[in-house]
Amino acid sequence: MVLFVLLVPVLIKWISHNYVDNNLIKQKNKFLQIVKIQGIKNYIPDGEKYGSYYLPVKEEYLTIEEAAPQYFLDTIKNEKRLVERDTIEYRILSHTFKINSQNYLLEIGKSVSTLDETSTPLQNIALAVLVGMILLTILADLFYTNRVLKPLGLIIKTKLIGHKFPNFGSYQEVKTSTSDFQYLDISIHQMIETIEATFQKEREFISNASHELMTPISILQSKIENMFERDDIADDTKLRLLEMQKILNRLKSITKTLLLISQIENEQFLKEDKISLQELLQEVYDEISIRLPEKNLTFDIVIPQDTILVNVNKFLIFNLFFNLVNNAIKYNREDGEIIIAAENENNTLVVNITDTGIGISPEDMPFIFNRFKKFRQSMQHDSFGLGLPIVKSIAAFHQIVIGVDSVQGVGSNFKLTFPTVLIGQDVYL
Amino acid sequence: MNVLIIEDEEALAHELEIFLTNHNYITEVCYNGNSASEKIAINLYDFILIDLGLPDYDGLDLLKEAKKNNPDAACIILTARAEVYDRVRGLDLGADDYLAKPFSLLELQSRMQAIIRRKFGLKQSIVELGDFLINLTDRVITHHENIVNTITKKEFDLIAYLILHKNRTLTRTQLSEHIWGSIINDDYDSNYIDAHIKNIRKKLNIYAPPDWLETVRGLGYKIKMNA
Repeated sequence: MVLFVLLVPVLIKWISHNYVDNNLIKQKNKFLQIVKIQGIKNYIPDGEKYGSYYLPVKEEYLTIEEAAPQYFLDTIKNEKRLVERDTIEYRILSHTFKINSQNYLLEIGKSVSTLDETSTPLQNIALAVLVGMILLTILADLFYTNRVLKPLGLIIKTKLIGHKFPNFGSYQEVKTSTSDFQYLDISIHQMIETIEATFQKEREFISNASHELMTPISILQSKIENMFERDDIADDTKLRLLEMQKILNRLKSITKTLLLISQIENEQFLKEDKISLQELLQEVYDEISIRLPEKNLTFDIVIPQDTILVNVNKFLIFNLFFNLVNNAIKYNREDGEIIIAAENENNTLVVNITDTGIGISPEDMPFIFNRFKKFRQSMQHDSFGLGLPIVKSIAAFHQIVIGVDSVQGVGSNFKLTFPTVLIGQDVYL
Repeated sequence: MNVLIIEDEEALAHELEIFLTNHNYITEVCYNGNSASEKIAINLYDFILIDLGLPDYDGLDLLKEAKKNNPDAACIILTARAEVYDRVRGLDLGADDYLAKPFSLLELQSRMQAIIRRKFGLKQSIVELGDFLINLTDRVITHHENIVNTITKKEFDLIAYLILHKNRTLTRTQLSEHIWGSIINDDYDSNYIDAHIKNIRKKLNIYAPPDWLETVRGLGYKIKMNA
């Protein structure tokens, strides 16, 4: 296309030149005809040069003169001629012919500027038409592709972007008559089904594995407890039993936590509780306040008095806040503070849990909700990296959106956005 | 007190048997549902501990049979499948309590004690410790005529648990499991029990030194009292 646009002036020039050349040849033939009929003497009576110009702008001219007998010419080319003190560039046809053994040279010229004058507007028109055509093509293309590719957009929107991992909806066919799109739609659906099945298997595995681990842990725990009670056991053996008990407890916590997460992900909890946020946070405080004096932390709850949550699972929401506050304590500095603030925002409830802790580095941020992900800064703490995964699965189960802001060395802020469906309208009873 | 232990995991059944025998219960053990069903039909028990995950029997069916043939028995469900629906159904069918595996034997004993208090009408359970009177029913501590009202719920839970298992050393792990057991979080070694005990001592010390609350070096805590 671009090549064509660039070639247009050259092409037009070439066409008009061709046209002029043909014209010149025609004029030559006509002139020779006239000479044949009327005789050369009519133009050159006594060997003088004959010249004729189409005045007044000397656009064209015609000359005849006698030439040397050996002189032979038959060309068309651009040359300059001096005509009455003006040098003008002409397209000149030169032709020699013999009459009565006398050689004559005929020149017919057409000025080049005239040539260009006629070709320039032509070029412009051609260009305008061309640009118009291109625009029209683009518009037509856009319209057409838009129409034709509509199913593709729909597939991308509903099948790829709309999906929330790991919860997939059921298959809904995208209406299209294009077999390629049908194929794409089916393929994506099959892919999603595979992913879903794998997710499901993983969940079932975790659930089964944790269940199966419960019984052996239970046996070990009972054995240790029974041994611990025996009078005939020496104190240093008891200390070792105590260590075993601690380690078993760790195993138990991990297993219970994994089981909880898998139960949440398998939606084995009911969401039928109605709770006062104030009271729930007070319960969290009662459970956890014993951990505050160690670092001399202050803990503030600033929430609207009558904030009611509905359609929630109290046990899970309690654990959500407990784990967030527990982290806020664990990673806090001496004399630091923790603030839980809630406010209503566009029909949602936003709860911010802010601490003055060590913060989360930008490199760690993408991984904080991953299971068993431990960070260097948290190595000193006795945890196994399941606190935030619990928080994440509980939040996802309730469609609570979590946002995290953190500045290293300054603190972190966890922002929970409760959707409208979880916010109670009436007064808590 | 007669206890029937229905548990297909023999090692666990054995430990339950040892523990309960040590605590003066008369125990019988069944490793499967069929023999349990027979025993329930013939004998009378005060407690029936039912494992829901039996290979040959639906534990909930056993519970129904027990309620029919042993209406006075207290049934406690033990299960590794801590499904919410199981729990609800079990309690709906008349189970007196529900313990998810893995559970502490101390916890089992504490639940059984609570049932005994409830069922056999021990109206006021008051324990005398030094100059203090601890009312486990009303959850009140008094020193002579004064009510000690500074003790929090958690702190009282700790004292009550230690009293229930009197003269026995309870480890920090056992105590934390009792008071924080239902909370799922990712700490596995929180020694906040020490902080609680320190607070209890500080609060009681205003009235009288609580010498009965002992620290067993390196092991844990115990409350010493005469039987």
